[in-house]
Amino acid sequence: MKPVGLIAVNFAREQRWPILTLLLWVLLLAFLGLVTDIHRQREDLLFVFKQDAIYVLAFSVFFGGSAIYNERRSRRILGVLSKAVGRQQYLSGLVLGVTIACALYCFALGLTGSWTLGGAGFPISRVWFLMVCLVTACTLAGTVALMFSTFLNPFFAAGATAMVLGLPVLASQILGPRWNYVIPVWELGATVLNSSFNSPGTASWLPVVLAAVETLAFWLLSARIFAYVDIAVAVE
Amino acid sequence: MPVVLEFENVTKEYRSFASKRRLRALDRFSLAVEAGEIFGFLGPNGAGKSTAIHLAMGFMRPTGGSGRLLGEPFGHAGTRRRVGFLAESVALYHRRAERLVRFYGALNGMGGTQLENRARQVLEIVGLQDHANRNAGKFSRGMMQRVGLAQAMVNDPELLILDEPTSALDPLARVMVRELLLSARNAGKTIFLSSHLLSEVELVCDRVAVLHRGRLARLGRTADLLQAGERSEIVARAVTTKDFDGAVARGGIVSFSVPSHSQRTALEKVWKLGGEVVSVNPLRRSLEEIFLEVTAEPESRSSEGVQ
Repeated sequence: MKPVGLIAVNFAREQRWPILTLLLWVLLLAFLGLVTDIHRQREDLLFVFKQDAIYVLAFSVFFGGSAIYNERRSRRILGVLSKAVGRQQYLSGLVLGVTIACALYCFALGLTGSWTLGGAGFPISRVWFLMVCLVTACTLAGTVALMFSTFLNPFFAAGATAMVLGLPVLASQILGPRWNYVIPVWELGATVLNSSFNSPGTASWLPVVLAAVETLAFWLLSARIFAYVDIAVAVE
Repeated sequence: MPVVLEFENVTKEYRSFASKRRLRALDRFSLAVEAGEIFGFLGPNGAGKSTAIHLAMGFMRPTGGSGRLLGEPFGHAGTRRRVGFLAESVALYHRRAERLVRFYGALNGMGGTQLENRARQVLEIVGLQDHANRNAGKFSRGMMQRVGLAQAMVNDPELLILDEPTSALDPLARVMVRELLLSARNAGKTIFLSSHLLSEVELVCDRVAVLHRGRLARLGRTADLLQAGERSEIVARAVTTKDFDGAVARGGIVSFSVPSHSQRTALEKVWKLGGEVVSVNPLRRSLEEIFLEVTAEPESRSSEGVQ
């Protein structure tokens, strides 16, 4: 487990600038909380909160889709995998790294959301439930992107990830809402987007559990593919 | 001596996804490196040296054949705890040098004060003790290569696999690396050294292999390869340069070289002309000559030339 933790922390450290940039948006929410009347401007605050939430989903795909590519291109992956680190451990470290990066952001968003939205009457427990949904969705989206990045460059990996995450949404429009649960990233994102002061929603743990199980499944698939990849060769 | 690194009929083909082309980088390549030796791995660019090293480290899988690293099949993660590796182009994370070396040591399961002391020690060995707190990502290429060496040695490995370890180093640092390799061998370590610096290889390596077009073209003890010259130099007095092809005179002494098989005839000619033989020496070749000879050989000849 030690190498997994080291790789994860190292990954999050390497992504410190995108993470800090993301945190600037959270600061915007905190700033609005300071300068506005949070009771009168609560719908605006909720809008900014939802906007911040969706950004991190996009960033999780960006983090996952570029992680292996950047390491292979810079050849730093050789330094890590020349140690007693298995490829599965390496991938686990990256998944954990993506989760840490997104969780840091979601924690900051949860804190400022509790302060601003909580002050405006939104249930604080609901804010933290939404953050759990968001972190789980980010981990799943990041893992899908990571799987594609084992053999595709980041641009195609992001496109393929968008397709995989989007197909169940399309299917749900035609075949029924149950299809949203096939890969529940959209379902979890919609939980955040559909929350309002009038109807904050109830805590449904099914998509969270499904997302956790599917993260494991996609990680296993990634490990299977990555075991056969020539990592010393540049990605085409 | 036990074998620490072994390639058995290893073939590696690269396939291009876009053009469907295949490139054979290694072709039925076999080699055994014994414990306690410094083994020089030579070959022109594109000969397959780095491919062989990457296969040994488990970075890629062979298309055919197999190999063992410290008794385990290539790619076994646990075995790499006993191996130190330095890649051809060193790429480092942007961290302080000491922290970076500790990071790599920790990946090998090291920790605590043992790791802290060892990190400081290896940075001192490579002459970077005064730069331990500087960002390694901003080092010059030579300094990066030294940090690369430090991270390769941090776990006190049994086997060091070094791909061009001195390519970016200044002459002083090269001497440092040479001494480091010799002291590692004296401590019972094995070193597998890929390098284009033939003079360095000649100085430190016990055995040498020359790879050409993915095949083993020469293999042998360095001393044997260098002395396997097929010519002898004869130095004589009281003869003239006209008597022997290619002879040169200096201070009344004439020297010339002849093929070893006609050495006796040449000596008899000297005596017949009333001359005096001063010395007869087998001409020692340099690795550079052997290297050039191998790379000039046609494909079929180079694969037959394994000694």
